[in-house]
Amino acid sequence: MAEWGRTTLELIVGELQQPVRLDASFERRVMVRVRRLHAQRRRRGVASWLGVVSRVTHHPGWAAALAAGIVAIVTLGVMRTRPAPTALAGAPREPVQFVLVRPDARSVAVVGDFNDWGLNDSALVATNHQGVWSVTAPVPAGVHRYAFVVNGKEWVADPSAPRSAGDDFGMPSSALVVEDSTK
Amino acid sequence: MESSDAALVTRVLHGDVNAYGALVSRYRDRYARYAVHMLGNREDAEEALQDAFTRAYRSLARCEEPERFGAWLFRILLNRCRTSGARRVRRGQTFVHDEGALMKASQEHPAEQTMWREEIERAIGELSADQREAFLLKYVEDLGYDEMAEITGVGVSALKMRVMRACDRLRTLLREVHSG
Repeated sequence: MAEWGRTTLELIVGELQQPVRLDASFERRVMVRVRRLHAQRRRRGVASWLGVVSRVTHHPGWAAALAAGIVAIVTLGVMRTRPAPTALAGAPREPVQFVLVRPDARSVAVVGDFNDWGLNDSALVATNHQGVWSVTAPVPAGVHRYAFVVNGKEWVADPSAPRSAGDDFGMPSSALVVEDSTK
Repeated sequence: MESSDAALVTRVLHGDVNAYGALVSRYRDRYARYAVHMLGNREDAEEALQDAFTRAYRSLARCEEPERFGAWLFRILLNRCRTSGARRVRRGQTFVHDEGALMKASQEHPAEQTMWREEIERAIGELSADQREAFLLKYVEDLGYDEMAEITGVGVSALKMRVMRACDRLRTLLREVHSG
């Protein structure tokens, strides 16, 4: 054997870098699993892409709205889209993910009563993932109103969630109920 | 022209499940190599890789940088290999060579080279899981320490130490073989 050194290390690495080829059945097996998940997801609704959804109310106009690129869904298993009777004072915060599919947007932020409808809250500025804008932020348990602000000026309600009874500032907004996971 | 990872991820997120097949095809062999060396046999490696692809699909919307899908998938595989390795230790199994690969190698290479390859496989299997992981990432996957730190969640200094110890251990193991 050659003296241990750079050359020997290169020999070892050269052997370990030899390709490992899987047969075609591997890809088929993976895709069987993936298609099964895809079918389950379609049955549950597109929102389950978020991967952590325990319950989402389906909006009848979902498909059309997606095509129009103006769909938003809030999840993380703490949301219920039916109104609750009261807000919870001093309640713990729960993570809520806000998502808006809007490929043409330059910026998207979430505003709501939980941040005093403030556009300058960096914690609620969504990140763009190929036209899917999302942000996860802690929101106090209770009943809230919220909306998306697109390009800093266009106020968009969540079309997959119920509209709130009274639109704040004369703008459209949606209702959100965050449940306390500790109870 | 071949679609970028980001383009394929976007297609999958919009319901084109076949686009995921292209991603599987793109990464399966390269990542199979890591899993085989990490876990020591093809059966466990395929299971880990299959699981990683499935988990990645399930969580695809949480891939924050679709253009870096490969790195994200690799992180999932690395964690899956760690879990699988831990399970194997708990079951008290010993490191098993990839018999299929060795058989293939023996047909393609002269006997001496096949023996050398067997010794390397055995020596790699003798490393601790941490050292093996660091060595494979550094030298076989050719990653920089910063990238390794990002993927593994381990600090750069600790990774350098693991790589150094892995090299020392390999030197001892392979020297024993060839001097004995």
